[in-house]
Amino acid sequence: MAPKKNLLGPTDSDSSSVSDQSASNRSVNRSLRVAEKERRKNEAEDPLVLALKYFSDVEAGTPVVGNDEFENNLVLVERAAYSKGLSSEAVAVMLEFAMSLRMGTSPCVRVLKCLIPSTVVPQEAVVRAVVWLGVGKIPISTQVLFIKWVLTVFDMIDAKDQLRSIYGFIFSFVTEENLCPFICHLLYLLTRKESVRVFRVRKLLELQSKLGRQPFLLHLLSLYKVFCPELVTLSVPSRMRSGFRNHNSPWKSALIAVQKRNGSQVASSSSLPFTIKDMSSSRKRKHGHLELPVLSSLVNKQAQTESFSRKLVPLVQLHSFTQLLENMHRIELPAQMGSLLGSSLALQYLDCVQDESALLRLNFWLGYALHEEFLFCGDGRASQNSEEALQFLDKLLSTQHFLQEAFSSSEAFLYKFLSVWDGSLLRPQILSLLSHIPVVPSAQIGRLLFEPLMQLFFTSSLFFKCGLIECLNNMLLKWLTWHSVYALEDDLDISLNSHTSINMTLSGFKDSVMELVHFVGRLASVGLQLEGCHSLLLSFILDFYETVCDTFLRYGLPLVVMPPPAVFYPVLFSPDPVSVDRLAYIMYRYKVNLTSAKSQEKVTEQAFHISRQTFREFNNYVVVMVNCLWNSKMFHPGMGVQLGEELLLKSNVPQYWTSFDLVNHPAFLSYAVDFHQRCWPGRKDVDLNSIKHSKPWSWYLEYLYSQGYDGLKQFVPAP
Amino acid sequence: MGKRDVQICFRFPSGTLEMEPPPNGVVRTPLNSVVVQRRSKSKSYRLSYRSCLGAASRLGFTPALTARRLNTSRRAPRSRNISEKVNSEQLALLLKTEWRLSYVTPLFKFRHTQLKSYSRQLSAFIAAEKQQGLAVDVEGSQSGFRVSFSVVQGMTETDDDAETVLIQIHTNPLFARQDEPQRSVWSGLLTCINGNTDYLHSLPKDFICLPLFGCSGSEVLTTLVKSWFQQAFDCSFGPLEISHTSLQWLVALWTNCHSESGIQQLKMIWTLPVVPPLQITYTVNPQDAWELWSSVRRDPQEENEGGEAGTSIDIKEVMRFVQGLKGHFYRHFRLDLSSGSLKQVSTALGSAKYNGRIKISNSRYMITTLTLLTECALLKMPI
Repeated sequence: MAPKKNLLGPTDSDSSSVSDQSASNRSVNRSLRVAEKERRKNEAEDPLVLALKYFSDVEAGTPVVGNDEFENNLVLVERAAYSKGLSSEAVAVMLEFAMSLRMGTSPCVRVLKCLIPSTVVPQEAVVRAVVWLGVGKIPISTQVLFIKWVLTVFDMIDAKDQLRSIYGFIFSFVTEENLCPFICHLLYLLTRKESVRVFRVRKLLELQSKLGRQPFLLHLLSLYKVFCPELVTLSVPSRMRSGFRNHNSPWKSALIAVQKRNGSQVASSSSLPFTIKDMSSSRKRKHGHLELPVLSSLVNKQAQTESFSRKLVPLVQLHSFTQLLENMHRIELPAQMGSLLGSSLALQYLDCVQDESALLRLNFWLGYALHEEFLFCGDGRASQNSEEALQFLDKLLSTQHFLQEAFSSSEAFLYKFLSVWDGSLLRPQILSLLSHIPVVPSAQIGRLLFEPLMQLFFTSSLFFKCGLIECLNNMLLKWLTWHSVYALEDDLDISLNSHTSINMTLSGFKDSVMELVHFVGRLASVGLQLEGCHSLLLSFILDFYETVCDTFLRYGLPLVVMPPPAVFYPVLFSPDPVSVDRLAYIMYRYKVNLTSAKSQEKVTEQAFHISRQTFREFNNYVVVMVNCLWNSKMFHPGMGVQLGEELLLKSNVPQYWTSFDLVNHPAFLSYAVDFHQRCWPGRKDVDLNSIKHSKPWSWYLEYLYSQGYDGLKQFVPAP
Repeated sequence: MGKRDVQICFRFPSGTLEMEPPPNGVVRTPLNSVVVQRRSKSKSYRLSYRSCLGAASRLGFTPALTARRLNTSRRAPRSRNISEKVNSEQLALLLKTEWRLSYVTPLFKFRHTQLKSYSRQLSAFIAAEKQQGLAVDVEGSQSGFRVSFSVVQGMTETDDDAETVLIQIHTNPLFARQDEPQRSVWSGLLTCINGNTDYLHSLPKDFICLPLFGCSGSEVLTTLVKSWFQQAFDCSFGPLEISHTSLQWLVALWTNCHSESGIQQLKMIWTLPVVPPLQITYTVNPQDAWELWSSVRRDPQEENEGGEAGTSIDIKEVMRFVQGLKGHFYRHFRLDLSSGSLKQVSTALGSAKYNGRIKISNSRYMITTLTLLTECALLKMPI
């Protein structure tokens, strides 16, 4: 029940007389009590407990002004109240402190204002406080504040029996003009049939003649009339203004915040009788549109019954997958499709039926929520980092993940949002949403995706760059997977529209994929320069090319795109052996894909044609790699990288053509030295060139492969 | 706090106005139509959520997504005597009310034939919400609120526009006597005038598009009505502001009517982003406004080439007109209104505020104004 309890020793003594009475209806478990004692001991050091102890023990007449101890303790209590709420014991202590006016009237208001219960309010405390009202030293405004507080937390008071038993006492305050409206409200909440007495009716009527037909009096009277029509002869108007005026009490928002934080289920003032449900709070909450509608069945049934004679089962009545299967043929969609977003069962159904209208409804709602939250918000973007937005997007993402596809409205939203996005707001969520978007036709892909993304990429941090490359890799993976699923159903070369509603031809799809790959190539080229070939970025780029190099064999897409030189060379010369190895692996996969494509080309006429340019690029890269790493022929004429002879000589690097072979390459140098030591343990001076003799060279390669550099091994298989 | 109100009212010295050409980049409304299409029903396919993926529809769909703009030209308001077509009582209500505007996503399964039943349901809904938490039903089953839905006949401009719906809520005054008539406490309007046909056609039959919602009356009832609509027709309501550009359009459109029915005065409220905020009330003599407007209108010859003589107003003309007004103001006060924004416009034909409040005072030009607002509402549609 209570997530956290700050039990106090002194509380017991304070309210023992009252709590004894109710002890009968509380079954107290002895072992629980022992545990409680134990915990109390632990909490004795808690400053909040000490603060509360101060308030329960403080002597009457202690001065407030200049009292630092009081001030510090009260601040402690206030802070606890506004963050987590006060335990029922703490509420009792503070209420007693305030109402007894032990330190005068000035702290009273302050204490009342921070009385935010975390769970329940003990009835005894309220009763005691009401009794203090009778003592008559409390200023009227404070009395009003107190009654307002009682009204606010009314639903959280743990029992009402004792309050009802002092009904008469409470009633006596009705004559106090300022208190009257609030007392009437409280009485309204407490009234039972037996509370309705002739003298009370008479009193109220008398007040009415004095104050006029006040709604609060009328409401109470009308309730009396319901219980005892014979006692109240007055005619109650057929329609009254609804509700007691519900005073914007200072606790409501704090209370709601505390309850939300505690995840508490305790009913709060928002469900106070006679207030229109959540009206004030929903108006205050500017971002109510992120709330999922409640799953509810149709309101408007007439339209349905016209055409359907069979019985329909509302989704809200189904609780298991089995039930869903049993009722598959007669399921009624809910009134608001947005409510489905929260229910996996409903999503399963939605995935199965292909109701265009239903999807459109869902999309309208979703698009509306996204637009209102992220695009149309006129009043600053402060609230956007809110927990709520995060949760909403997470829910949307998990739904899309569940369905393995994106909603068109979230796609449409993203295209607009990308142009205003700062690249940091909810980045993980937005990037994941982005990676879900379906294939964009090549004619639009530049304007919709590339332009805004390019701007973001070049102006954002390294981490954004990595995130974006990862996102685009995921996007590509999803496109390719989608293709491999649907292209396999048809024959490879048949345009996809023969089977699906997608009118995208294979060549159109290829164009889009090619655009995407080229785009990432451009981003990667410039990104690597901007970030000084940062190895983290390099790693994400290599991830992307691991997807790209296998498009033909793994996903059946007849397309081979080579990485641009500005990606290839930085990787080749990277000081990081893992990157070089991954490059070798990627080149190996390119080779396998290309040879397989070529052999298919020979067998079937339908196979695709790979441009000579691609082969030329591939061959060039392979020659460079082999010459550079294996053959020690760096800077040979006819290779990709050429430098003037004089320039190389000027550099004074001895044997410059060997400087990037597997021995001297900065990534592998340490391995070479290690190998040298193992091979010739006796030698004092290290001569790496000796590794290059044929025997040690093959041992050295074996040694490298044994270190896990399989890419290199696959790239140049042993002869 | 710190707000200075500057009230400026002067006459243009007639004939001395020079027109500056509109600065480049002012015209930012390149595309003239909203092209939205959706997946055809032809084949069912798993990826149907991706309604935009159907490439055929998608090609038409996506450009519109990011480039939907207000129309760059619209027909000049024709004086139309709709009072002959529209029920005078309803018309009076439409005119006397200042509407708070919202946009509404298309209504699912809304039927104009079911209005009676909707009236009952909404009454019951309001009664239920009002009595929520009430221990005992004090008033008996008779609800204090009477809702009536009615169709406003004769408002539509094209066959695609759904008929306008008017909602009124009446209640007995507090402590009313038996014979006292019920009082109207809330009214609402759902309309679509000259809605973009491509958009309307793209919606499946089950949806009725009435994108513009106006209401006046207590906030509490507005919230209740909206939430009933949300539940009954699975739609969503969002606030509709009348943008800077739309207000400028209204300035021009209303001034354009001056020759036929006087606008009395052209009053604009501008705010300038300075500290403390400066609000300027700029009132122009109608005749001067009219002359300025006439001077920025295209040559009649040019118009004839365009085909529709005098019937169409281009955004360039609107911008030239507003530029003229700003320029004149600058010459007098050395204050450039270009840095500020227009917040409110009012003439004898109506008044419009940035926060989405509009009052249309003259029935003859109501359709033009509602067309503009319908367009604004459709621009806010999420798909």
